[in-house]
Amino acid sequence: MEIPDESPAQSAESLFEHEIESVFQETLGLIHIALVSHYCMSEQEATELEKDLFVWFRRFCYRPGASPKDNRPFLLVACCQFAREYQRYVVDSGVRSADAQLESILKREPSDVAHDFSRSLQLYEFRRSDA
Amino acid sequence: MPSEARILRFPERASGRRSPGDVLAIATDYLSQDVEERKALDVESTYRDLDVLLSICGALRERVNSNPSEVLAEAGRIFAWVTQQGRSLGYFDERDFFLGESALLAGSACRLLGENADAELWLDRADASYRHTINPTPSLTRVAYARLSLRYDMGRYKDVLELLPSVALTFEKLALHAELGKCHLLEASSLKELGRTSDAAARLQVMLSSPELASQTALRGMAMLSLGNIRSQEGDQEQALAAYRAAQPLLESSERYSTLADLKGLVAEMLRQLGQISAAVDAYRESVNDHVKLGMQTRAAYMRVVLSEALLEAGRPREAEWELLAALPTINEQKMVPEGFAAVVLLQESVRQRKTDPQALSELRQYLQTSS
Repeated sequence: MEIPDESPAQSAESLFEHEIESVFQETLGLIHIALVSHYCMSEQEATELEKDLFVWFRRFCYRPGASPKDNRPFLLVACCQFAREYQRYVVDSGVRSADAQLESILKREPSDVAHDFSRSLQLYEFRRSDA
Repeated sequence: MPSEARILRFPERASGRRSPGDVLAIATDYLSQDVEERKALDVESTYRDLDVLLSICGALRERVNSNPSEVLAEAGRIFAWVTQQGRSLGYFDERDFFLGESALLAGSACRLLGENADAELWLDRADASYRHTINPTPSLTRVAYARLSLRYDMGRYKDVLELLPSVALTFEKLALHAELGKCHLLEASSLKELGRTSDAAARLQVMLSSPELASQTALRGMAMLSLGNIRSQEGDQEQALAAYRAAQPLLESSERYSTLADLKGLVAEMLRQLGQISAAVDAYRESVNDHVKLGMQTRAAYMRVVLSEALLEAGRPREAEWELLAALPTINEQKMVPEGFAAVVLLQESVRQRKTDPQALSELRQYLQTSS
């Protein structure tokens, strides 16, 4: 008989942590597209923001209310909200000028943008399960 | 990284991520110290790590029923600290979440301590903060549940029964089984208070046989206690005692000290009905002492009034006077009765004359029973 290294509580914690990381990793591609292609961030800016987003998402999943998988739509909302706040600050402080594409997305509500991305994610998952 | 790569500075991140076990150990170590001793500590270093702060909030949620005074002190401190930090705390909605969480904890603690006006204010603060979080539904529903518990304490049972299904439905959709169980318990308690005892007993039986609540020791203990009370009111003291016996270890293992204090009061009531007045007096005394130790002043004052009645019944009027002398200041200070409430005026006068008025005492007890 093998003696497990972890207690049942530790094991449950590890599983939970693993689930959080999986959900984040699975959504990361979409997040990156949102930040770079839609919110016009540089690759490095996007990478830095993704790190912050992970710290937030991990703690968010420990709040009472939902499983990491159920929290995926909120991860996208947070991504769009953070990206908009960041770009608005950069544009308003005159460091960067906004082109038509950036101006258009900054006018939209982050939750609406995230909703569109969620639909893309659902389509992706549908294709993946179909395959 | 080239200078143009990062236009804005991102916040410094901790170099290594701690495991949930390590975070819990830090939080537990912090909370293991006495509330007064914690004041001397550098809270900045403890609260600043938001993983630890989240873990502290989780531990306080577990403790609110067993030690509301401690939770109120700590939650109030967290709320003040988070407020001081301004918008720079954490990522995205974390400041609002921690404000909401600490306010909800403080509100729940105030309710248990009988400080209803403060409880309402804290719950308003919780609402105001949670509203700005990214997923407010679970948190706002927890506030809604706390408000209904407060209405229950105020004797507004019909309001509770009207509004509870919506709260329960949200918990059900979110698969928050423990919270849903609490709703069922509140529903059963309200039904019981409205005299619908068979409906209440049926609801409690469903709860106790629910597989989702099998691991919820505290909830099962409270359901068992409530069922025992119903059986006692129906005159089935044997079933009542069996239920109370089953409730006790469940409440002890889940450290529900305030409910255990109530259990002693219910056992006392049962003993009194059985004519075992001396044993009833001892049980009431234990209940009073436990409530006092927990800092639950209004509940202790109510139990002292009931104890006084039992002492008069036992032919021990002097002891009854002492208990009333201890209870009346709290009753007045905490506004447990309207100003100039006749029974209290009569009681004060009769105690002063060392001739306690049993009629006034009974009226006061009945008023407190229906209003608290």
